[in-house]
Amino acid sequence: MLGYYLDLAWRSLRRNFSLTVLMVLAIGFGVGASMTMLTVMHVLAKDPIPQKSKVLHYVQLDPRPLRGYTPGEEPLEQSTRQDAETLVREHRADHQALMTGGYATIVPSKAGLDPFNIDARWTSNEFFPMFDVPFLKGGPWSAQDDANHGRVAVIGKELAEKLFGSTDVVGFSLRVETTEMRIVGVLDNWQPIPHFYDLMTEAYGQGEQLYLPWTTSIDLDLGHNGSTNCWDSKHDDSKALGAPCEWIQLWVELDSDAKEVAYHDFLASYWADQVRAGHYERPVNIRLRNVTDYLDYNKVIPADAKLGTVVALGFLIVCLVNTIGLLLTKFLRRSAEIGVRRALGASRVSIFMQLLIEAGVIGLVGGVLGLLLAGLGLWAIRHGVSAYGHLAHLDVTMLAATFGLALVSSVLAGLLPAWRGCQVAPALQLKSH
Amino acid sequence: MLHMKDVSKVYRTEMVETHALRDLNLEVRAGEFVAVTGPSGSGKTTFLNIAGMLEELTGGVYTLDGVDVKSLDDKARSKLRNEKIGFVFQSFNLIPDLNLFDNIDVPLRYRRMSRGERHKRIETALERVGLASRKKHYPAELSGGQQQRVAIARAIAGNPTLLLADEPTGNLDSQMAREVMQLLEELNEQGTIVVIVTHDPEIAARARRNVHIVDGVAADVERGPALVQKDVKKAFSTAETIA
Amino acid sequence: MDFIPIISTLRRHRTASILIILEIAFTCAIVCNAVFVIRQRLALMDRDSGIAEAEIVRIQIAGIGKKADPGVVTRQDLEALKAVSGVKDAAVTNMVPFGNSSWNTSISTIPDDPSAPINVATYMGSRDLIETLGVKLIAGRDLTPEEYVEYSNGGGSNLHIASILITKGVAERMYPGQNALGKVLYVWGKEPSTIVGIIDTLARPNDFQPTGMTYAIVMPLDVDFTVGGNYLIRCDPARKAEVLAAAEAALKKVDPVRLVMKRQTFADVRKEHFTEDRAMAWVLGIVSISLLVITALGVIGLASFWVQQRTRQIGVRRALGATRGDILRYFQTENFILATAGIVLGMILAYGINLWLMGKYQVERLPMEFLPIGAGLLWFLGQVAVLGPALRAAAIPPAIATRSV
Repeated sequence: MLGYYLDLAWRSLRRNFSLTVLMVLAIGFGVGASMTMLTVMHVLAKDPIPQKSKVLHYVQLDPRPLRGYTPGEEPLEQSTRQDAETLVREHRADHQALMTGGYATIVPSKAGLDPFNIDARWTSNEFFPMFDVPFLKGGPWSAQDDANHGRVAVIGKELAEKLFGSTDVVGFSLRVETTEMRIVGVLDNWQPIPHFYDLMTEAYGQGEQLYLPWTTSIDLDLGHNGSTNCWDSKHDDSKALGAPCEWIQLWVELDSDAKEVAYHDFLASYWADQVRAGHYERPVNIRLRNVTDYLDYNKVIPADAKLGTVVALGFLIVCLVNTIGLLLTKFLRRSAEIGVRRALGASRVSIFMQLLIEAGVIGLVGGVLGLLLAGLGLWAIRHGVSAYGHLAHLDVTMLAATFGLALVSSVLAGLLPAWRGCQVAPALQLKSH
Repeated sequence: MLHMKDVSKVYRTEMVETHALRDLNLEVRAGEFVAVTGPSGSGKTTFLNIAGMLEELTGGVYTLDGVDVKSLDDKARSKLRNEKIGFVFQSFNLIPDLNLFDNIDVPLRYRRMSRGERHKRIETALERVGLASRKKHYPAELSGGQQQRVAIARAIAGNPTLLLADEPTGNLDSQMAREVMQLLEELNEQGTIVVIVTHDPEIAARARRNVHIVDGVAADVERGPALVQKDVKKAFSTAETIA
Repeated sequence: MDFIPIISTLRRHRTASILIILEIAFTCAIVCNAVFVIRQRLALMDRDSGIAEAEIVRIQIAGIGKKADPGVVTRQDLEALKAVSGVKDAAVTNMVPFGNSSWNTSISTIPDDPSAPINVATYMGSRDLIETLGVKLIAGRDLTPEEYVEYSNGGGSNLHIASILITKGVAERMYPGQNALGKVLYVWGKEPSTIVGIIDTLARPNDFQPTGMTYAIVMPLDVDFTVGGNYLIRCDPARKAEVLAAAEAALKKVDPVRLVMKRQTFADVRKEHFTEDRAMAWVLGIVSISLLVITALGVIGLASFWVQQRTRQIGVRRALGATRGDILRYFQTENFILATAGIVLGMILAYGINLWLMGKYQVERLPMEFLPIGAGLLWFLGQVAVLGPALRAAAIPPAIATRSV
């Protein structure tokens, strides 16, 4: 029977061509707009590191003076250099790393390539194993390199190819500003979305291509990218050890709940020590959020993307109401035909199915249109210069979801009209009009 | 075959209650050719709708081929209608979007027949009404008489035991009307029960049995050597005058 | 026109009527809110920077490695820039209005205030900064060369900043109802800075919604090009492109071991800053127009169906003496009734959505004037949409009444 219904649907749709086009357009535009925005949301709301998002924790302490303290307030967003360096040295977690965004000028040795600036990350060696960063060649620098302020670098695949035309460059020399660095590792493509480990720099940015030991970056006074907040004016250099400034991110990996509790206890005792030493004044106020909680807390998804999604869904609703109305008129216009079919032995269910399948066909065609429009919409978002634009691509999931949405929408839109259509009483329509 | 006992039909709206049929009793047996007559508004069409299971009865019992219709759900009723009953309407009621072939195909589709079987039946039915050459034409391209022949072809394609016709000649000129009646008579001779609703005495006269409905009550007027009256109640006198 | 028979007809077509009312209502609600958000974004994008935008171009430059004496290079840079033909003035600054990268500090009227009331954008630049920006001083004077202090990166409390300029917004916030001129503010710590001038408007590099947008101060700190690296050049507006090219060449000549990060007119700075707002306004605009088109088509679809369904009835009416105008007005009135119901429901919905958005996305209250504007728009839309089908209805000849279908 499905074949017969499809055939009838096709005839009917061809017959009222302009009405059909109108319904296909309504479904197509509604689905296209919704899928564009839902795809953006799907990308923005991704778990950047699903295998570890529950075991990686962001450390927040509060070394500010007691003055200005409001009970219940959040501790500092970032860490001071003093705390970060101490806690990494203490090495109480499974992995730990301190880090900050940076930038530096690369001076290529290759002829014809001008010096250029790139975003970089200054961090400690456990950054790589902790975040499961994939290496193409070589590996992280050693703890020794961190301690010795080693002139070593890990670079991204893209930078390696740009500078050397190859990724097989471990051991090569790289000139960062005025210093030669020895390349110890080349990363495979790695761009966690969102850029969860440092939300001070663009949450949906391109990520970094250059990684240097934290200690080395301090030595060379390399540029800092991110936010620095100082709360006491008695300092000359915000980057100095002991400066009352927050500008560093500190992440720890705690592989079990027990370890998480233990680490929390450790931080509490650290806090107590700091109070005794006169460095801390505030009551204990520790945050140890995992990746998921940290992203939620920071409301990382842009409000405009959410607003856009709400608008797109509202648009879809109007398109659906429109389609319901048009289908209803279309089906009721065919009351005579339905009456005859009923008289000739079509059950109510048969009529219902016939009409619903007609709605479904509209949904499928609308889905194709919606897919094209979503593709177009995403293309526009990629080429609009929004910070997250480059991430907006349809993947297989969203492709399937587009057709699903179109089909579900149109069938939902078809339910009421099909129900009304199959209620047409056969007897009434048989008399001459 | 068709048995109605004390069948009544009441239409209710917010304001009024209309009794279209009152305690109608009727039995139609195999091979019969019955004309149902009566003045306008007497309940003829209501009777036909109930006989064709297009409407539900309010009271009484209606058995078709031994099945109590009231106990059936929509699906079973549709199936029964599809298999046992053929309809011919005054306004033909062909589906304008479908060509002749596809129009005749409609009831067969709902019977879930194989493709080959459907094609065979459609061809046979079209030949039977003499329109085989025009199966690709659309209803609008045919004359009224031709359209009604297609409607008959559609009604008989499924081999119904009962053919219900509502003023089948009402929209036709006399020449065409005669052709259509001839077709119906041939069908009857081949064993199909024909029940025809009409107010045309000439048509009624060709039927072997006349049932007269007045004010929702049926009176039987048997044609033939003897005039036998059955189930005659209040309406007898009126029936006599018309007959 | 008599409404009662039309309404009773509509009641007999309840489902279709409800659907069209719902469609109009949703459209009304979404379009009202969308237009409102667009208006807000446009206002944002139109915000005054307070500077001579038409005449300003910007070059952002970064050194490669540490310079021995960036201060000297900066002075040479500025001299070279001022020598470029078409340049009126040039200054180096740590940041640029609408430039996104920002320096901020909290200020107070008392020393070392832990709960300093407001956060301000902190402009620092070479001596000609105020002249170059072309900001308007509404009280007091510009900073004098003697007041300038050398600035080294990270420094704070060890510098004594005797005088500062503040914006009108800061003045009104810190000294409400008083003349702020000559009063003091504590910017970095314990030493007070005297307010020597008040600037009408000087926009911040980034948005501090909604209250802090006007808060900025200018400090007499002589920064070098390694602090932010922004050279602002005020020039003949007709020669901006030419000046930019020549200025870049001049800077490269002073010290070639540097990278030009940005080279743009101020119009570009503004455009870049408001990219997302512009995109949002476009998206909402396109969605609004699509909604109106779809709703209009929905009205046309339904009206056409009703006209077709009532063809015979219309013929009978015509035969009984109804004029073409009567038929036309019947359908127009019918549409007016449906639109009105949709608008009433839509406005309630619009304010509901607005309340919800206010709670979630920093949207302001929907102003009352959206009520008549939205209603008028949808009434107009409905009438335009129904005109075609209504004219077709009016064209139905009375003879149809005597014809059987």
